Amino acid sequence: MPATRLDLLDPADVARLGGIEIVAAGVVEGFLAGLHRSPFRGFSVEFTEHRAYQPGDELRYLDWRILARSDRLFVKQFEEETNLRAMILVDASRSMAWRGAPERLTKRAYADRLAAALALILLRQRDATGLVTFDEEVRQVIPARVKAGQWTRLVRGLLDTPDGHGTAAHAALQRLTALLARRGLVVLLSDLLFDRELALAALRYLRHRGHQVIVFHLMDPAEVELAGPPEVRFTDPESPASVVVRPRELARAYAATVQREVAAWRTACRRHGIAYHHVQTDLPFGMALRLLT
Amino acid sequence: MSFLHPLALLGLAAAAIPALLHLLHRRTPPELAFPPLRYLSEAERQSARRLKLRHLLLLLLRTALIVVVVLAAARPLVPVRGGGEHEPTAVVVILDNSPSSGAVVDGRPVLDRLRVAARESIARTSAADRVWLLLADGVIRAEGGGREALLASVDSATPDWRRLDLVQAVERAARLVHAEPLPGREVHVLSDVQRTAIATGHADVPPGVRILSLAPARGRPAANRGIASASVAEGAVLVAVTSSDGGDAVPLTVRIGTRDVGRALAAPGEGAAVSVALPPQRPGWWAGEAALEPDELRADDRRPFVWRVAPPARVAAGAAAGPFIGAALSVLRDARRVGEGRDVIVGDVPTGSTGRWVVQPPADPALIGQANRALAARGVPWRWEGGVVGTPGLLVSRELEQIAGAQVTRRYRLESTGRGGGEGEAAGGDVLATVNGEPWLVRAGDVVLLGSRLDTAWTGLPAAPGFVPFVDALVNRIVAGAAAVTVTEGTPRVEFRVRGADTVGATVFGLDPRESDLTAATPELVAAAFGPGALVLNDVRLAAERFAGTRRVDASTLLLALALLLAAAELGVATLTR
Repeated sequence: MPATRLDLLDPADVARLGGIEIVAAGVVEGFLAGLHRSPFRGFSVEFTEHRAYQPGDELRYLDWRILARSDRLFVKQFEEETNLRAMILVDASRSMAWRGAPERLTKRAYADRLAAALALILLRQRDATGLVTFDEEVRQVIPARVKAGQWTRLVRGLLDTPDGHGTAAHAALQRLTALLARRGLVVLLSDLLFDRELALAALRYLRHRGHQVIVFHLMDPAEVELAGPPEVRFTDPESPASVVVRPRELARAYAATVQREVAAWRTACRRHGIAYHHVQTDLPFGMALRLLT
Repeated sequence: MSFLHPLALLGLAAAAIPALLHLLHRRTPPELAFPPLRYLSEAERQSARRLKLRHLLLLLLRTALIVVVVLAAARPLVPVRGGGEHEPTAVVVILDNSPSSGAVVDGRPVLDRLRVAARESIARTSAADRVWLLLADGVIRAEGGGREALLASVDSATPDWRRLDLVQAVERAARLVHAEPLPGREVHVLSDVQRTAIATGHADVPPGVRILSLAPARGRPAANRGIASASVAEGAVLVAVTSSDGGDAVPLTVRIGTRDVGRALAAPGEGAAVSVALPPQRPGWWAGEAALEPDELRADDRRPFVWRVAPPARVAAGAAAGPFIGAALSVLRDARRVGEGRDVIVGDVPTGSTGRWVVQPPADPALIGQANRALAARGVPWRWEGGVVGTPGLLVSRELEQIAGAQVTRRYRLESTGRGGGEGEAAGGDVLATVNGEPWLVRAGDVVLLGSRLDTAWTGLPAAPGFVPFVDALVNRIVAGAAAVTVTEGTPRVEFRVRGADTVGATVFGLDPRESDLTAATPELVAAAFGPGALVLNDVRLAAERFAGTRRVDASTLLLALALLLAAAELGVATLTR
């Protein structure tokens, strides 16, 4: 166990230690040191627990005995071993390249490091892991593999994807559904600044195809609590839109709006069996990864 | 409301600062990228109404805060009402105990109510005040004898016979209190506020003097009738009756001593008068009284009158008097209206410097100059214009009704020389009859001049029925001069003036006829008379308003407290409504 667990340090401090590979490796070392079992559950032969049935679950995993006894639908979950196929989707739109303070990571940098760490964990578990980066278009597609050098390819894919332009994620997501033919785990890292219903439609489709979908909603702390000079013109980096506000006057209403938006995403995802996690970019990587356990 | 530091009010212009800052201080804000702009727009859309209200509220609060602070700096003095001490005040209490205050309204003399109010005004004063009492006699009573002396004067006041001109009284009182270096200055007008008492213009009230007038009692004013005047002429007494509400004729009784000598119905109204014939009396001075039936105001129900019955004049006709004069005097002598003697001489040219003369122009125009010189030597300020013949016309005379309308065909124009006459004998003042507006019969001292000879060749008068009465009046009354009877205001009575053993005149005292009109003035009329700041108040409000103008408190502390509240409210709105 390292003397200092990088997974629990401030992400910006950790990022200053080196490149993505070093940071991700350090984070994963620390993270795994705190775990004794695979956090990811698949459909293998080793039973772990029951959970409530959700539309889209395969009927063959229904526990018929519980159904007969209590007339309630539960499915059995099994500890997966090597057959998990994971695809990590990273939003590379321009809004992701923003940070509220110089001492913090941009949302994109945070997403890249989180994605690299996650991929390293999965690959160490012998799970096939792939990567997709997108903005308005699908920029990089690295198919899921478990062979040696896959993590390096994934990291290079992240590094080779520049910050994009506007976000029309639903279009990119719909194209991704065609790429993800085999069901598996889909992890989306995005600030979700796009049309919720259209994006949910794509995510629902993935869920319908049998994928286990996890959404990381990344936000800079400055996006959660409005601050700034007495009067300021805020501009949208992805469009010509702008608005003049007095942050102190609008802070409370803005915070309420953000809370509503997060709650709306959480409710919609839960309704469709999608795991949703709201993550601020000052959250240590280990804490973010722990949300998956 | 007044201010201790009124110049500080200039700071009120600062109240515009918040609005000006809002309008002028609009700079271009800095520009920052902010990805979740959609959340921001949504929040702003939902908060737009609240923010507008907040901005407006803040603007109002900040403006009000500045205004209140500036007002507090100006140290406003706010009048307060109610009990408590008042600031030192100079006050004149006008108790109108004029005759009309004796009227009975609702079974109670008006003066009783006025006395109660006056007593309260004086009793409310303190040692630091200066107080005077003004009654209808016009005397301003100072407090030299102490408050008790003034209160005693109030208590002992009875309806006076003198009329009080309220406008003059208020002006005098206002000037008096204005001269006092005290913070408060008030005039309390306790009167029945007759409209006739304030109809003589408006009082010049200095600024800062409060005029508080007691309002007339509620209800209709008493219907009153009074005798406006009573005078004797040509053997009859002429009585004018006045009334505050018109109305029907009222019974009138004329008495001499205790004996009723005549009754009549007198219709009230301006210009209307009733004539009651008096019985013939022996020569001498006689006094009588005209009386109405008693009503709510007793003071004007009786009025005395006086007249003189002269003894028959001893008359002599001059050589050139003419036949008609001689015939008339003969008739009068037979009737014992005149006697033999030379007290009065009727002729062409006055000779000597004594005696009473009735002078007619000479028949010969050549003697006009001689006659004029004789008149001038006698000191008569009239002369016949030589050779100037006046136009024919009809006689007009108010004093000698018996000759009015008689034709004059020939006459000399009488002109005033402006010499010799006393101050009271202006040229027009002695004209007793005119023709075509020009003097025809004039009197100058004990000389009476005619414009025509009393002859049918000059005038139709000798042939008229009124000629003998005219000659009777001419020699018995006109040339002897009217008996000096003057009328003045005072307790109804008659006073005779004597010179040696002779009674030479009389003064009849009576009520000013304007006192009979009990109609109260309207508040508008009061405001016009006493100034727009005058307050007409009933008993209750008068009690509250007395000295209220001088009870002032410095409201700056209150305003500063209000400013603190406003500041707290501003802070609350600015922080809690973010």
